[in-house]
Amino acid sequence: MTKNIKKKLPLFILPVLVIAGMSFSGNRINESSIKFPYEQAGLTESEAAAHLINRFTFGPTPNEVDKVVHEGLEKWFLQQLSANMNDDALNEKLKDYDALNMSNAEILQKYPSNAEILKLAMEEEKINKEAIADGSRDKKEVMNDYRKKHGFGTYKQLYDQLISQKILRATYSQNQLQEVMTDFWFNHFNISIAKSSYGMFAISYERDALRKNCLSNFEQLLISTAKSPAMLQYLDNARSTGKNSRLGDTQEQTERKIEMLKNDTSAAARNKQEKLEKKLNSGLNENYARELMELHTLGVDGGYTQKDVTEVARVLTGWTVFPALREDDPARAKKLALFDSEKSKRMGFVHEGDFLFALNRHDDEEKTILGKKFPAGGGYDEGLQLFHLLATHPSTAKFISKKLAIHFVSDNPPQSLIDKMAKTFLDKNGDIKQVLLTMVQSPEFWSKDAVREKIKSPFELAISTMRILNTSSISRPDVLNNWITKMGQRIYFYQAPTGFPDNAQYWINTSSLLNRINFGLAVTSNKIPGLNYDLAALNDYKEPESAEKALEVYCKLLLPERNTESTIKRLTPLLNDPNLESKIDKASKENAKKDDSTDDGDVMASDTPIKSNKKNNYSGSLNFSNSSSLKQVVGIILGSPEFQRR
Amino acid sequence: MSTRRAFLKGAGIAIFGISIGGVPNFVARAANNLKQNRLYKKKKVLVCIFQRGAMDGLMAVTPFEDAYLKSARPTLFMEAGRENPLIDLDGRFGLHPAFKSFEPLFKEKRIAIVHGIGSPNNTRSHFDAQDYMESGTPFNKGTSSGWLNRAIGVMGHDASPFTAVSLTSSLPKSLYGTNQTMAISNLNDFALQVKDNRFNQGLVAGSFEDLYDETTSSLLKETSKESFDAMKMLQHADVKNYKPSYGAEYPKTPLGKAMQQIAQLIKMDVGLEIAFTEHSGWDTHVGQGTLQGTFARSATDLSNSITAFWTDLGGDLQDDVTLMTMTEFGRTVKQNGTGGTDHGRASCNFILGNDVNGGKVHGLVKTLATENLEDGRDQPVTTDFRAVFSEVADKHLLIRDNQILFPDWKGISIGVMKS
Repeated sequence: MTKNIKKKLPLFILPVLVIAGMSFSGNRINESSIKFPYEQAGLTESEAAAHLINRFTFGPTPNEVDKVVHEGLEKWFLQQLSANMNDDALNEKLKDYDALNMSNAEILQKYPSNAEILKLAMEEEKINKEAIADGSRDKKEVMNDYRKKHGFGTYKQLYDQLISQKILRATYSQNQLQEVMTDFWFNHFNISIAKSSYGMFAISYERDALRKNCLSNFEQLLISTAKSPAMLQYLDNARSTGKNSRLGDTQEQTERKIEMLKNDTSAAARNKQEKLEKKLNSGLNENYARELMELHTLGVDGGYTQKDVTEVARVLTGWTVFPALREDDPARAKKLALFDSEKSKRMGFVHEGDFLFALNRHDDEEKTILGKKFPAGGGYDEGLQLFHLLATHPSTAKFISKKLAIHFVSDNPPQSLIDKMAKTFLDKNGDIKQVLLTMVQSPEFWSKDAVREKIKSPFELAISTMRILNTSSISRPDVLNNWITKMGQRIYFYQAPTGFPDNAQYWINTSSLLNRINFGLAVTSNKIPGLNYDLAALNDYKEPESAEKALEVYCKLLLPERNTESTIKRLTPLLNDPNLESKIDKASKENAKKDDSTDDGDVMASDTPIKSNKKNNYSGSLNFSNSSSLKQVVGIILGSPEFQRR
Repeated sequence: MSTRRAFLKGAGIAIFGISIGGVPNFVARAANNLKQNRLYKKKKVLVCIFQRGAMDGLMAVTPFEDAYLKSARPTLFMEAGRENPLIDLDGRFGLHPAFKSFEPLFKEKRIAIVHGIGSPNNTRSHFDAQDYMESGTPFNKGTSSGWLNRAIGVMGHDASPFTAVSLTSSLPKSLYGTNQTMAISNLNDFALQVKDNRFNQGLVAGSFEDLYDETTSSLLKETSKESFDAMKMLQHADVKNYKPSYGAEYPKTPLGKAMQQIAQLIKMDVGLEIAFTEHSGWDTHVGQGTLQGTFARSATDLSNSITAFWTDLGGDLQDDVTLMTMTEFGRTVKQNGTGGTDHGRASCNFILGNDVNGGKVHGLVKTLATENLEDGRDQPVTTDFRAVFSEVADKHLLIRDNQILFPDWKGISIGVMKS
């Protein structure tokens, strides 16, 4: 069996099992004490394995159910929790995406914003503003020329890399749970890349703040997001300045000065006014503070008030992005010298990578949050205490547990399950692995009400399709992404900090359902260029003895451990259509006339067996695996209701 | 619902699998024979636009004589009157210049404005406030249906899969519920894409229809019925080459496109009664701007999309349509430190239609002195959104019993519609 899988699945390398005595952020797990209660729920081992795979990966690969049964369900899960499988094959696919390993500073340098490009280009080419304004020099052309000349990339190229890597990781990573959790936390701590000012930082946000901490400890994860330039910019905390801070207390004076300069039209006065307005463009901003409590930790019913929101915002004044991230920023040396000096450190400034705690923006007076007093002068540590308070709060334990249960168990998870998970969350200091272990060891996880009850999101649907077809390469992830968008999920672009709603009702509506059905058909009719899969290989190049047999075989292959009876019954007429022969004949003639340029190297592109041997094809004894009928059948199975569920 | 399904079967179009050519082109026929043989008795249409992110009502329609507002917004306040940007509506309120295409409609008394509108629940969370407004139950989180969905139930016309349509990629909370609704992001995409394999398109569609009819997931089952019905109805309608009437020019924006498609559906006469779409970009925490900036951009898009829609409908159809905007809350009276405004309480909304008591700013707006503000910072809500929504539903859609739309609502209407 093992040998067989290896031969068939070069991409999904078998794991090397080294899990003895695992240690999870201080909470040791006794491997032998872990037992999944699926038998009590009436599931066979194979059914249980399929359920496990459906919930903790982006969908099974061919024969993966057998593989997990062979390995042992508990062992497989612990292996996924440890997220240390070799991912060389994936990394090989990602190697041409240059931005993925860049720091934020490098990204700013290699992918400067449009405004920055224009400024630099005008300086270098000695183009004056008037030339751009009166149209004698085309703005776009100037920017494009400059970009080309210096080898700079565009913002679109940057986020295309982000999107492509997400699709490739989800499809090919051996550490599937890590990718599922990264996706989950991204949606929980959602940022949108609609705006480049924070979208620029999304790559490092996902990589350094989320993936790195996705299976660690909630408090650590929370603080990583709080310090990330992406979050600091997205919810405006980077600009929030305390009223009682050194910068903030001159606000009224600043306003007065601007007022006085208003009638002075000299260039110097205008310049000064601009500077003052920039200074004024700071003040307390509650946006992050509110979402931090409502969406990231306590939940909207978590027992906080508007007063708490304001107080949290005050605590977090001064949490901002280091002002000169780029290595080649002329101001960088000066800023580094300033903020890294012993004097600044003594005063209470904190500089860690991209993050800066700017004491001069911080409101240093006393605050009270959820009844807890934060005495004056708490500085940076006060923020850490706040995050500790929020991350370990019972409301947070419940809120996070419920969200996890909704994602992994059902849209309406039982309260008993949430309570168990929340208890673990509190007992184990927010250890995410422990919370997941509690969930998967609970009977509620395995209950018949939960199995197959989650509807795949469009992203999950697309990736699970890639995985079950054992797609060996996806050379146009952007086209695949267009389909995901069409089905109702524009990944990385969900504008509200809530993230996408995680329930079936959100994903399934009259038009999205049609698009989902069309997706399966598009995949198998080669309308999505760049997908390389081999339907015959899925069945080990064995020819099914009849069309009916082929249907049965492929239903089982594509819908492992599902009841496929109704699907088979409903699709059989498709094969037994008395006019099929003449229709296929006609269609193959039509197909022959068509330009084959969209086929893009799909090994299934050739329909010659139909043309040359249509009778045999209809009787099903020869070449059915390579016919367009099989593609159609597979397309329909992918569009079937069973395949929409996970 | 059974009535409609029976109707569709009767019309011969549910037997999809036999032949595409055999499907009666009844949508096109209906459009051609608008005056005779109408399949659906012409109904009133309510169009709702949700402005997500919370529109600053004080910037949209500014009480420009209010000295408190002026001092609270040193860089955001604009004056009205000659040489000044705001469009003076009535000597007290000034319309933001980006809404200038509304001015003639306001003068013709087709547009009414309600100022001080909002929710009795003082949450300042976008998500919650939208949820409450769309469910129509501002104190009940557990409501699983939207007020517009319940409205369909009350009307009970049950004639078309197009009764309630949301021009969004996914279904909004307003339309959640047990009555059939649909979300379409683009009418052109509404087909099963098996064109390369024309030889068995009918079979494929039939197979899907049967498969979904048998699934144990009731959500998939019910939604699929709507999908297939709607697909059949749109099959022969020429949605690709639509030309707006009366020289209407829609902005080339998502909202402009959505409004155009709503107009298309109305003209196709496929039984539309409730249309919904949404407009984002109103969460102006930073750099809200005055004549230009994020607020002005959104306002231009909104007003031009609405007026293009209205122009496109032309004479007769305008009588059947009422359009209403809504937003989850307003914004702080005082501008914040980042050239914007934060989450507040009351905002304003626009209602357009020939039955509207227009040319007026309805509602109560006191001077914005601190003592008149909610929590000392926000324009207080003086008109419950349910008063306005239920009056529009009553007068336009003839839904007399507003207890189903707004179960806890016991207030009275404020006269935004002609009586």
